[in-house]
Amino acid sequence: MTAREAGHVEAPAERARMARRVQPPAAGVRLVRLVRLYATSRRVPLAVAAIAACAIGLRIALIWPWDSYGALQLPLVFEAGAAAAITATTASRLGEPERVAGRWLPFLRLATVLALTAAAVGALTAAGAGAHLAGGTLDVLRNVTGMTGIGLLCAAALGGGLAWAGPTGYLVVGVYALYTQWHHPALTTPWIWPARPPHDLGAASCAGLVFTVGMAVFAVRGARDRADE
Amino acid sequence: MTATNVPAVSRPRPAPRHPALATARLLRLELRHNAMLWMLPVVFALFWLTTYRKTMAMPPLWNLRAVSLQSGAILDFITPVVGAAAWMGSREARRHTSELISITARPRWARLLATWAATTCWALAGYLVCLAVLYGMTAHQASWGGPLWWPAAVVAASLLAFSALGFTAGALLPSRFTAPLAAIASFFVLALSTQLIVGSQSYWQISPVVAAPWDIGSDASMATFYPYVPDLAMVQVIFPAGLAVALLAALALPRGSGGRRLRAAAAAVTAAGLAAAGTAVALTGTGQLDSQGMIAIPALHDAASDRPIRFTPVCSHTAIPVCLNPAYASYLPVTVTALAPLLSEVTGLPGAPARISQAAAVYRQGTRNSVSIGLAGPAVSGRPPVFRLLLPVQLAGPALTTSQLAAEIRSSTGLGIVSSIVGASRHPSPAQQAVVAVLARVSGLPQPSSPPRSTPSGSRKRAAPSPPAPEPAPGSPAYAAAQRFAVLTPPARRSWLVRHLPALRAGRITLAQLP
Repeated sequence: MTAREAGHVEAPAERARMARRVQPPAAGVRLVRLVRLYATSRRVPLAVAAIAACAIGLRIALIWPWDSYGALQLPLVFEAGAAAAITATTASRLGEPERVAGRWLPFLRLATVLALTAAAVGALTAAGAGAHLAGGTLDVLRNVTGMTGIGLLCAAALGGGLAWAGPTGYLVVGVYALYTQWHHPALTTPWIWPARPPHDLGAASCAGLVFTVGMAVFAVRGARDRADE
Repeated sequence: MTATNVPAVSRPRPAPRHPALATARLLRLELRHNAMLWMLPVVFALFWLTTYRKTMAMPPLWNLRAVSLQSGAILDFITPVVGAAAWMGSREARRHTSELISITARPRWARLLATWAATTCWALAGYLVCLAVLYGMTAHQASWGGPLWWPAAVVAASLLAFSALGFTAGALLPSRFTAPLAAIASFFVLALSTQLIVGSQSYWQISPVVAAPWDIGSDASMATFYPYVPDLAMVQVIFPAGLAVALLAALALPRGSGGRRLRAAAAAVTAAGLAAAGTAVALTGTGQLDSQGMIAIPALHDAASDRPIRFTPVCSHTAIPVCLNPAYASYLPVTVTALAPLLSEVTGLPGAPARISQAAAVYRQGTRNSVSIGLAGPAVSGRPPVFRLLLPVQLAGPALTTSQLAAEIRSSTGLGIVSSIVGASRHPSPAQQAVVAVLARVSGLPQPSSPPRSTPSGSRKRAAPSPPAPEPAPGSPAYAAAQRFAVLTPPARRSWLVRHLPALRAGRITLAQLP
């Protein structure tokens, strides 16, 4: 028997293993693998770590006795940090080639951002539990979702790499708007929602609208990325 | 002759070397592909929204606007500059070109420096545009004085440090999360570090956000009667400059960034930069609030800054001239209008001031963050008597509208003038109280009230130029005497005052002697 012929001889066990390998995995397994690959490519575990760091930082900072300015501005800084971490996951290394190949991408984008936003709101709210968190849970929810929406819009416009410019720039605007509550004329437009009370419907609507539009644009179009970044 | 027979050139002519040209070309390439360029619209929008609008709403005084520019521009620029610099610093690692570029002729440190320089150039260019617009508008509006360049220099030096900080973070920790987290962390440290400032000797005043003594904030009185004291600004320039030098030199420390000599030199420069920054912090701790309302650092202080600035006051053409520092010329109409009824009432009375002249405010540091601001010396001095006035804008406090300003002038300066004429000091006689109340009423001034017993809350205390005599209580003999005096015709009242004011001032007139 030649070596060529020997290669064709297969034991029954080997044949069964080969057959299993050829069979496509179950849909659930494929989905999990897809999600895992997407999350890894977008550095989602690092984003979760960054969100956790923001929550821990907020918790430590809340121990400090802040004056009225600081107490109001402090949560906004950490909320912006969490929103910026979420928007940093929008960048793709593959850019356009990935869009051509992946029909599940819009759903993956949507699910990832929603999950990370929920995690950020939950972590920051938990960090404020038992301490004086200015604005409370509603404020955290409104600010994180709104600033994440700004980041997603920036990702669609500027690219995932520079999407952080939106939340960080809005942080400066929000801090200034809070400052004007003492130094008139105050900025009271609902589009600058951090300066509005937590129960303000107009501010919540604006933040929600920005988040929804940002989500929709990002889910459909993705971040404006080049393949070399 | 074939090509093979051509004699080979033994030594090729070396290519001409133009290091400056090559560096300029590298910088030009970096300038064209820099993230900071994309951040400039963000910076301009932030500057317009948070700094320009606020600053232009302030009175056109160079001191106020320069201080506002420094604090505002720092906060507007920090997140875009740190973020963009971090993004640029992590470029090689992000694109996986570190090894590819390592074979180029230039050492890694030189390449990184070119990228940092391009980022900083764009940041400085954006800042210069903002500065030019704001100072240009102020130059158009201000009635006196000139631009203060030290606050502008603090911002420029801080931009160097922000850029170096972000760039170093990006180069050492290349990740997509480095830029946003570095930007937000630096904003957090800078904006909220002011919470730690206690008193004028705080080391935390090294923060470039602190453009004036933190206890006072932007105050219209400083650097108008006395020169701007640049001591704090000097250390605020030294600190970021030292920090920037140390951070950039630290980029050359890792193995592979350059040769041994370069790394040794970089270590020395890093140490020197850190020493400069540390010295600046130490000097800040020796600062003290001086009487002109600025932080004076003994090691850097120039005694010439303590000499008052010579100026020709702007005066009204009223019977009793009201004279203000030319920097406050825009306040002259409202001041004269507010005091006009009183001035027509008291003109010609014995002891009435010959002139009302604006004076410099004096600052005293109290416990912790409290500062008292007031007049140095008596409200009336000289012969003929001159009433020394402090405008409400010279006392740190919220911005006032024109009508609020007029009301404040009437209640502080107006009552102060009446009290000085009648001689009503801290313990006025009943007759003096009655006359003050009547003169205040007929001059359209608010009725005098008892001085506050407790210190006002907050970190700043306003010291009234002259505490007015309290209004007589209804039903009291002084109140009845005031009612009698008030019903006199103006000529009769004036005639009585001309004859009896010296005695009234000396406290020799009783209530019964009032007409």
